[in-house]
Formats: sequence, C-alpha cells, structure tokens
Amino acid sequence: MRTSRLPLIWMWMVYGFMYLPVAVIAIFAFNDSELVAFPLQGFTMRWFGQVLGDGRLTGGLGLTFLVSIPVALLSTLLGAMAALALTRYRMPFRGLLLVLVLLPFLIPKVILGVAQLILLSELGIERSLLTIIFGQTIVILPFTTLVIASVLMRIDRRLEEAATDLGASAFSAFRRVTLPLMKNGLLAASFIAFVLSSSEYVLTSLLSGRSQPLSILVASDFRFNMSPALDALALMIVAANLALIVIGELARLRSKS
Amino acid sequence: METSRTGAWLALPVYSAVAALCVAPLLILLAYSFFQVSFVEIIKEPTLKNYARIAGSETYRWLILKAFGSGLTISVVTAIIGYPVAWYIAKRVTVMKSAMLTLLLVPLYTGDLVRIFAWRMLLGAEGVLNTFLMWTGAIREPIEALLFSSLATHIVLTYNYLPFMVLGLWLAFEALDDRLLEAASDLGAGKMSAFRRVMLPLTVPGLVAGGMMVFVMVVGDYLTPQLVGGASGITIVSAINDLFGTAFDWPLGSAIAWTMLAILALLFCAAALIVSRSTLGAALTSGEA
Repeated sequence: MRTSRLPLIWMWMVYGFMYLPVAVIAIFAFNDSELVAFPLQGFTMRWFGQVLGDGRLTGGLGLTFLVSIPVALLSTLLGAMAALALTRYRMPFRGLLLVLVLLPFLIPKVILGVAQLILLSELGIERSLLTIIFGQTIVILPFTTLVIASVLMRIDRRLEEAATDLGASAFSAFRRVTLPLMKNGLLAASFIAFVLSSSEYVLTSLLSGRSQPLSILVASDFRFNMSPALDALALMIVAANLALIVIGELARLRSKS
Repeated sequence: METSRTGAWLALPVYSAVAALCVAPLLILLAYSFFQVSFVEIIKEPTLKNYARIAGSETYRWLILKAFGSGLTISVVTAIIGYPVAWYIAKRVTVMKSAMLTLLLVPLYTGDLVRIFAWRMLLGAEGVLNTFLMWTGAIREPIEALLFSSLATHIVLTYNYLPFMVLGLWLAFEALDDRLLEAASDLGAGKMSAFRRVMLPLTVPGLVAGGMMVFVMVVGDYLTPQLVGGASGITIVSAINDLFGTAFDWPLGSAIAWTMLAILALLFCAAALIVSRSTLGAALTSGEA
C-alpha cells in the first residue's frame, strides 16, 4: 500500500511549531543587537556576560537550589512509595490511592495555591521556603509517581518472585532486586521534579514570603520586559532544564531493556 | 504477591501528604466560601450570599462561560492537530517510538515564564515574526494584532497543551487493533468510511481522556491569557487571584473557586464514565495495559 507523504509533512510542521520558541530563544541570545528583531546583526557572547555579572540573579539561583533539591528528593520518595503501592501490592482502595495521587494535577494551581494560603493563615504559619517546598511537592507528586510507575510496570515480576523463592526476605528482595532495577526511574523522576520545581511560578509566588527564588525574581522581567540579556538568561534556563530532562529520559528509557 | 500490609504502609505517607497539602486546604476553601467579609474582617457565620452573588453577577457568569469556552475550543483544536500526529507515532514510527513522544514533551520543560517570554518575542509588533515577514517583503506594516489579543492566547494555549492531547490519543491508537481496519477494507469499506465507522469510534476514549486533560489545564491557566492576551486576558482564575490579593474578599474568591471545582468534577465524572465503558478504559483500570 502506498502511503501519502502528507502525514509526514504534518509531523514536521507540528514538531517545528513545538520547537519554534526554543529556536527563537537560542538564535537571539547570540544576536549582536539591542533589538530582538530581524535581520540578524552578527554573533556575540556579551549578553551572557551581562547576566552572569548580575549578583541579584546568582542569589536567586542559590535559593532555587535550596527549594528545588528538597522538593526533588521529597516528591521522588513519596512518588516511589505511591508507585510501589500501586503496581506491586494487592491492597484495598487501590483506585482511591490513584485518584488522590493524581488529584493535585487536576486542581487549577491558582485554586490550590489560594486554598493552601487559607490553611496557612488559619494555622498561623508564616510563609517561607518551607511552605514553598511542601506546596510544590504535592503538585509534582503526580509526575514522579507516573514516571516511577512506568518503570516499575516494565520490571519482570518473576525476578522478585525468584528472589523470594530462593530464600530472600521481602525486604532484601526489594533492596537487592527491585531497587537496583528501578534506580533509573528514581533518577529520571528526581530530575523532572527538580526542573518542574525550579520553573514553577504560580504556586511559588502565592506561597513565597520574603525570600524569593529565581523564578519569582525574574518573573516581572520576563513578564514585562524584553531584551537580549533576558533572552540569554532564558537560554541558560532552557539549556539547563533540557539537559536534565534528556539525561533523565535516557536513563528511564534505558531501563526498558 | 506480598502481603497487603506492606502496600498499606507504603501508601500511608502518600495519603497523609495528599490529605494535608491538598484535601485539607480544599475543605477549608469550601468552608470559607460560606463566610463573609466586612471591611478587613472575615465573619465566620454560614451564609449562601457568595454563591448568590456569583449567580447574580453577569461578569462572573460570563467569565465562567468564557473559561469553559476556551477549554472546549483548545480541546477541539489540539484534537484536530494532534490526531494525525498520534496516529503516525503509534502506527508508522517503528524505531525510537518513546523518543518521538519524549521529543514532543521536551519543549514543555522550559517553564511557563520562559515559554511565554519566547512567544512574546515571536508575536510582538516589533517582534521576530513581524520583522521577519517585513524583511522578506511579505508584509509592509507589522501586524499589530498578533500579540495581546485573544488570537495570541489561543495560539499559546494550543502550543502549551497539544502534547497532552497527543499523549492521550497515542494510548488509544496503541490499543487499536490494525486487523479491525483490514477487516473493514476487506469487507469493502472505503478509507473514509473505515475511518468514520471503525477508527474514530475506537479512539473516542483517547479523545475524551486527552480532551479532559487539555480542558482542565486551559481552564486553570492563569499566566498565558494574562501575559499574551492583553485586554482579553481577564479570566475567572485571574479574578480568583485578585480576590485573594488586592480586592481582599477571600470568601467570594473561595465560592468562585468551588463553583469551578464543582463543574469540573461533574465533567470529569461524565468523561470517566465514557472512558470506563470502553475497552481501553477497562484495560487501564484493571491494570493490564
């Protein structure tokens, strides 16, 4: 059967559309002009120098690590527990667990954010880095759970059964068989969680008090200004995020075989 | 299979986290929706006045309708664009299938603000697209209406949520047995009628699942309309945000939020019913997929 070329052309167009903004960021970060516009004026690295010399931004970056590393660890740990419970154990209310884990993904972030805000004010808790960490962890939990579950579903269960048949206790079967096999999934989940956390804006802005991570610091710049230096900053963020995601995905896909 | 107790112990911290950080806040939000505000004080006596105000206010009714209208529009647009893409990945791509899907999702990890910044650069009056078209001589004057318009909002929303639609449809196409299409054509069905009577009905669960995901995310999207929509950027979620900020009417904000949640929940139950009645849904819920 002869298939037409139309679907392939469509695919190229859709993928082109998806990468158009990334391409624009990449091109104009190196363009030697104050204006973000065609025609291109030549190659420069000076916008990167300008960004790296900005002390305010490096301080914000430090805070981002203070928030996003704990969020990555916490949401990966909880996601691993949820994924193990969902895929490995026969238990009552399995459907309920699935719904509850996915629930934070389905609630609009502004609504969840203001709800958490009310709870904090009722309990008399000041907003701080800690409130950002907990708030973000719950909206990232659905992603880490699904990533880890997708790896667990591919692990042959007979390997664990063989371990227990050969006399391993449930815990040591987990530690010596399941855990090494799901390691790549944990790595991928924590990288994705870190990226989602560091670029999260809506929830973070509602829950942050005086200490503001990078995503909040640059928010008003990104929202209202436009300059090649900002574009250079955007490219650095994009490059860092995409590198983490690609490493994580490679690890996750490699665990398939 | 191990004892169910280990599973329960594993699930316990997850249940606690969701209860404390998601369910409890939403319940307090519900309680607040029955309170009232007087100057800067919140009066904690139950009343239905907030809900009456929403029902009686033309602005809020219109904003709610507008939110669901955009949700529906973007769901349909992403379905039309994404359907051939999902089909192609599921049925024509043989090597690196997961990589193709990942490649589609990767641009989303650039972060909301950076993504919107890029689109503002692209669509602005003196932006990349306009200057490019003028440079090549395709247009003489910049097209002002590109940015800060309802069109811009719809373009960026489509961009943001298209991959989720493709993901939902791709699952449905993977579950679709090609032999059914062969049987249809063997029995004399033309391409069009095989599509309309076999392929489309069998991918409805994917359309519904992808559509619901896109719908709920469009309804809840706060940044995109605000930053690229210009005057058209006021949405029901931005109204909620304002009531918790400058306008300081937490109870009214809570009531609007819960009105939205209730409508979304109803739609979800309807969608879940459609998906669970299909074979794909049965396979997914029984955990065999």
